[in-house]
Amino acid sequence: MPKAILIDTTKCTACRGCQVGCKEWKNYPPVATKQRGTHQNPPDLGPYNVKLVRFSEHMESDGTVKWYFFPDACRHCLDAPCKSGASLEDSIIQDKETGAVIYTEKTAKENFEAIKSSCPYDIPRLDPKTKRIVKCDMCIDRVRANLLPMCVKSCAMGAMTFGERSDILKLAATRLVAVQKNNPKAQLCDMENVSIIYLVADAPGKYHKYAVADASDSPGYMTRKEMLAGVFAPLRKATKQLQG
Amino acid sequence: MQTTAVETPAALRNIETALSRASTDIPALTPLLTAFGPLLAARARLREAAPGWTGPALVIDAERFGQGAFVLAQTEVGGGFEDMSAHLTGAARTLLPIMEQSFPAIAAELKLLGAAIASGALTPKALASAGFGDAAAVPGVSEQTMAFAASELVRPFVERQAQDLAAQVKGLPWPQTCCPVCGGAPNMSVLRRVQEDGEFLQAHGGRRFLRCSSCSTEWTHKRVSCPGCGCEEPDELLVLRDPARVHERADACKRCKAFVLCLDSGELAEVPDPDVAALTMLPLEIQAKQQGFAPLAEHPWSSL
Ligand code: SF4
Ligand code: SF4
Ligand code: SF4
Repeated sequence: MPKAILIDTTKCTACRGCQVGCKEWKNYPPVATKQRGTHQNPPDLGPYNVKLVRFSEHMESDGTVKWYFFPDACRHCLDAPCKSGASLEDSIIQDKETGAVIYTEKTAKENFEAIKSSCPYDIPRLDPKTKRIVKCDMCIDRVRANLLPMCVKSCAMGAMTFGERSDILKLAATRLVAVQKNNPKAQLCDMENVSIIYLVADAPGKYHKYAVADASDSPGYMTRKEMLAGVFAPLRKATKQLQG
Repeated sequence: MQTTAVETPAALRNIETALSRASTDIPALTPLLTAFGPLLAARARLREAAPGWTGPALVIDAERFGQGAFVLAQTEVGGGFEDMSAHLTGAARTLLPIMEQSFPAIAAELKLLGAAIASGALTPKALASAGFGDAAAVPGVSEQTMAFAASELVRPFVERQAQDLAAQVKGLPWPQTCCPVCGGAPNMSVLRRVQEDGEFLQAHGGRRFLRCSSCSTEWTHKRVSCPGCGCEEPDELLVLRDPARVHERADACKRCKAFVLCLDSGELAEVPDPDVAALTMLPLEIQAKQQGFAPLAEHPWSSL
C-alpha cells in the first residue's frame, strides 16, 4: 500500500537532525562548506546531501523578522515527471509496494540535465564519481525492513510522520485545520500529486522557490517545468519508440 | 452507556501483515504462527461483534482509582466482567473448529468439548467460569485443554468490555503495575511512539505500555522499573535479546526474578499486533525461563 510522509513545518525547529541522520544512514562523505552567514548549510542539495533543511527569513510589515524552515528532499511524486523524463525504461523505477521513486545505477546512462529539469522541485543531483543521478529513496531499505525512514526517526520535534497514504492524508487534513486557526494562509503543498506532503503556515514561496511545483501566480499558463515534464516526456518516449 | 466503535478491519489487517512478516523473518516459527494466526484473527472478529459493557454507567471514584482501586473493583455488580455466557455457544461454534485445525494434538478433546457445549452437557455458565479459571469436567477433556479453550472463548468478550471500561478512566493517573480495568498482571509490554501535539521535544524512545494478560488493556508505566517488584536499580535490571532482532527483548529483574516481554516499536514503520509480536518472542521467553526468570503472567502458548 502506498506510503506517505507528512512534514509539518510548523513543528520544525531547523535542528537539522533529519539532514544529519539521512547523511549518516546513507554513509555519504563529508563535503567542504563554508559559513555564508545563514543557518542553511551546505548551501544546496547535493549528491551527498539528499536532505537539506532550507532556511529563509522575511521581514513582516510590522518590522519583525520571521524564520521559515523547510526540510527539503524528493517528494516521491505519484506520477513522477522525472521518471517520464528518463530515456531508459528502468533507470528510474517506482516501487509498487510503497510508491517510492527510486534511481537505479542505470541513471548513470541518463542525460542528467534532462532529468533534473523535468523535476518540478529541483531535486536530482549528479554524483561526479559514479555519474549516477541521486536523490532521496524514501529509505526503501529501512522501510522494507519495517523501519521508519531515517529522517522521520531522527526528528525530535515529531515534525514528520510516516505511514499509509490514507492515514497520512487524514492526519494532514486535521493538522491543516489546527494550523489554519492562526495562519490563514496555511496549506498542504501539492497534496494530490506527491507522497511527501509539506504543511506550511504561509505562502509556500516564502519557504523555498520550489516548495510547490508551480509557485507562479498565473494559473492558466504552463510553467517551464510543466512544459518539460508534460510535453517533452511523451515526445521523447515517442521518439524513442520511433527509433526502436 | 454508549459503546465505542472498534477499528477491527485495521486490527485484522495488522494481525495478517504481522503474521506474514514474522514467518518470512523467522521461518522456524512458521508452524507456531500458522497454528495461532487463525485463532488470533477469529478472536479479533468476535471481539468486533461482541456487545461491550452493557451494564449501568460506572461511577468511578477518581481518588480511589488513584490509590489503586481498578475499575472492576469499583463496580457494584460484584467486581467482575459482565456475564457473557449467552454468547459462548456461538463463539464455540466459530472458534473450536479453528482450534481443532490448528492444534491436531488436542483436536479430539476439542471435538468432545464442542459436543458437550452443543448438547448442553456443559452449561454456558460453567463454560464461562472455566474461562476464568474454575474447574469444569467434561469426560475425555483434560484440565489443561479445558482451561486453554475456555479462556480463549471468553477472551473476545472480556476484551470488548474492557475497551469500554478503559475509556472511563482515560487520562486518570495509574502508577500501578496491575491492569487499571481488571487488576490482571501484564504479560507483554510495548514501547510506543506517541504523537504529542505539543511544541516540545518528543520522547524519542516512546512511552512504555504494559499489556494485561487477561483483558489486553494497555496502560503507560515508568520505563525503567521492574513491574514485578518496582526495582529501579540499573544493576539489577537486565535486558535479554537476540542481536538479530533488536526490537524485541525480555526485561528481567535480578531482584525478584521476574521478566516481561517488551516490543520496542519506536523505530518501526508499522507496529505489529502485540499478540503476534509476543508469539514471535517465544524463543526469548524460553531463554528467559531457562535463565531462571519467571513471567509475570503467561501467554496461551507459553505452556504448550
Ligand atoms: S520530486 Fe522530483 S525527483 Fe522526486 S519523484 Fe518528483 S520529479 Fe522525481
Ligand atoms: S527518507 Fe531517507 S533518504 Fe530520504 S530524506 Fe529521509 S533519510 Fe534521507
Ligand atoms: S529533524 Fe525535525 S525539527 Fe529538526 S530540522 Fe528536521 S524536520 Fe526540522
